[in-house]
Amino acid sequence: MGNRAKSTRHWDHGEGWVLGLASMGIIAFLAVPIAALLLSFFTNSGLSHLHSEMAVRALWLTMRTTLISTALCVILGTPMAYLLARKRFPGKGILDTLVDLPVVVPPVVAGVALLLAFGRRGLIGRHLEAVGIEIGFTTVAVIMAQVFIASPFFIRAARAGFEGVDRELERAAYTLGAGRWRTFWVVTVPLAGPSLTGGLVLAWARALSEFGATMMFAGNFPGRTQTLTLAVMTAMESDLDTAVAVSVLSLALAVATLVTAKAFLGRWEGPHG
Amino acid sequence: MAHCCGDALMTNARRFMIAAALAATCSLPACSESLRVFAASSLTEPFTELGRRFSRAHPGNTVAFNFAGSQVLRTQIEQGAPADVFASADLDHMQALRSKHMVRGAVLFAQNSLTVVTPASEAKVKSLSDLARPGVRLVLAGENVPAGRYADQVLRSMDDSGRFGRDFRSRVMANVVSRELNVRSVLSKVTLGEADAAFVYVTDAATVRPRVKSIVIPARFNVIATYPVAVVAESRHKALATEFIRLLRGPEGRRILLRHGFRLPNPHGQSR
Repeated sequence: MGNRAKSTRHWDHGEGWVLGLASMGIIAFLAVPIAALLLSFFTNSGLSHLHSEMAVRALWLTMRTTLISTALCVILGTPMAYLLARKRFPGKGILDTLVDLPVVVPPVVAGVALLLAFGRRGLIGRHLEAVGIEIGFTTVAVIMAQVFIASPFFIRAARAGFEGVDRELERAAYTLGAGRWRTFWVVTVPLAGPSLTGGLVLAWARALSEFGATMMFAGNFPGRTQTLTLAVMTAMESDLDTAVAVSVLSLALAVATLVTAKAFLGRWEGPHG
Repeated sequence: MAHCCGDALMTNARRFMIAAALAATCSLPACSESLRVFAASSLTEPFTELGRRFSRAHPGNTVAFNFAGSQVLRTQIEQGAPADVFASADLDHMQALRSKHMVRGAVLFAQNSLTVVTPASEAKVKSLSDLARPGVRLVLAGENVPAGRYADQVLRSMDDSGRFGRDFRSRVMANVVSRELNVRSVLSKVTLGEADAAFVYVTDAATVRPRVKSIVIPARFNVIATYPVAVVAESRHKALATEFIRLLRGPEGRRILLRHGFRLPNPHGQSR
């Protein structure tokens, strides 16, 4: 374990073993359900259930919506992250809290809030409806729920990335005659790149797992608003094998995103934590 | 309380402490002394009331309810969820558990029918034929939820009657924007004004008046929703579960059901 803490204590092997044994409980607790899911998948020829119309439609819808919502997180979140990283202004603390809020708010509550804002009788929704725009029960509602829930993950990572960029290098670019915009793209973004990508992947993972806000705000309709998570919930009631198959599919996506995010955010055990 | 002597106060306090400790140690729906009743979400009001009566009649025993779509409850029982009583909104889910010997002695205790609800304020849908108008947002319960199955049946008989124009059912189905997991979620979409219309039980509509309007579905197109109840085979409180069912089917239970708008099945109804 690359423990680079300044303490002069050095873990000897004995203590490592004790700690390892003490961690067994949580390791088992986390691993057994995952193992049970995989076991059920492989013993019930899970792969065949992935071809079910429900699974296929849910997967496509999830891919489409999460890609769009992740892109929106990046487009809308980058200026915000830069602002928080570089500027000091009154009310920054409040803004900071606002940006982090969706992480701690229960998604179903986020769904209610979205409904009260953009639903037919919502603060904004009622004016939208007057001009013929209806969001509830549409794919747009799914994307909005995902952006609401997932954007903090990108903003936090991007902010950390921008904060970590050496300002001297930016000044050097200015000295060499590059403008602000060019400096941002040629110096800042590449240097913050790993954090930006890591944040993007985390936001995508969170969008993939969105359930509560979607159910509340977008409803449940195959091909239109039934994402993978809603498909699992729906299938649980009729067709357990399909539910398990879709769960494993989601699990695979989650593992892939986690590995990618860790690679970019450099959280591998090593001298760059 | 005020006239209590110190001793009694002490015992009370201690009793309270013990109760609190017990409450803290047992997970909510799984207390040792509570009867666990899994009931269709349309039964929320009458069963809650009945639960209070039951606790009063059986001191020391509480009733913990799990209200959800019958198909959810059935799956949970199939997966070994600790339940004592199962009350379903249709015969199919009960039958499925009976064929696996997971419930015992199912009996019918109530009947219901469907209605179409619309938001009270601005009704895009004023008659049953309006359901097929383009641009109407209709919400139904899911295909495995009893309320959803019944709605499908109603639409089929309306279509078969030929009185609503060609392809009535498919035109209506094209307006469906969501298939919810229980009938109460369906209802809330209309109560919130998000949907223009929905198929729910007559009894559901009664719980949210005057916020919704009802459009009557004539008997010749309507269904008779039938509610069976049974003791779960794995129950550890079979005697208590039987007591609950007895209360439900007795004069008190019947009165409560009728007051909430349910109808009663013909006496001695045994489910199939």
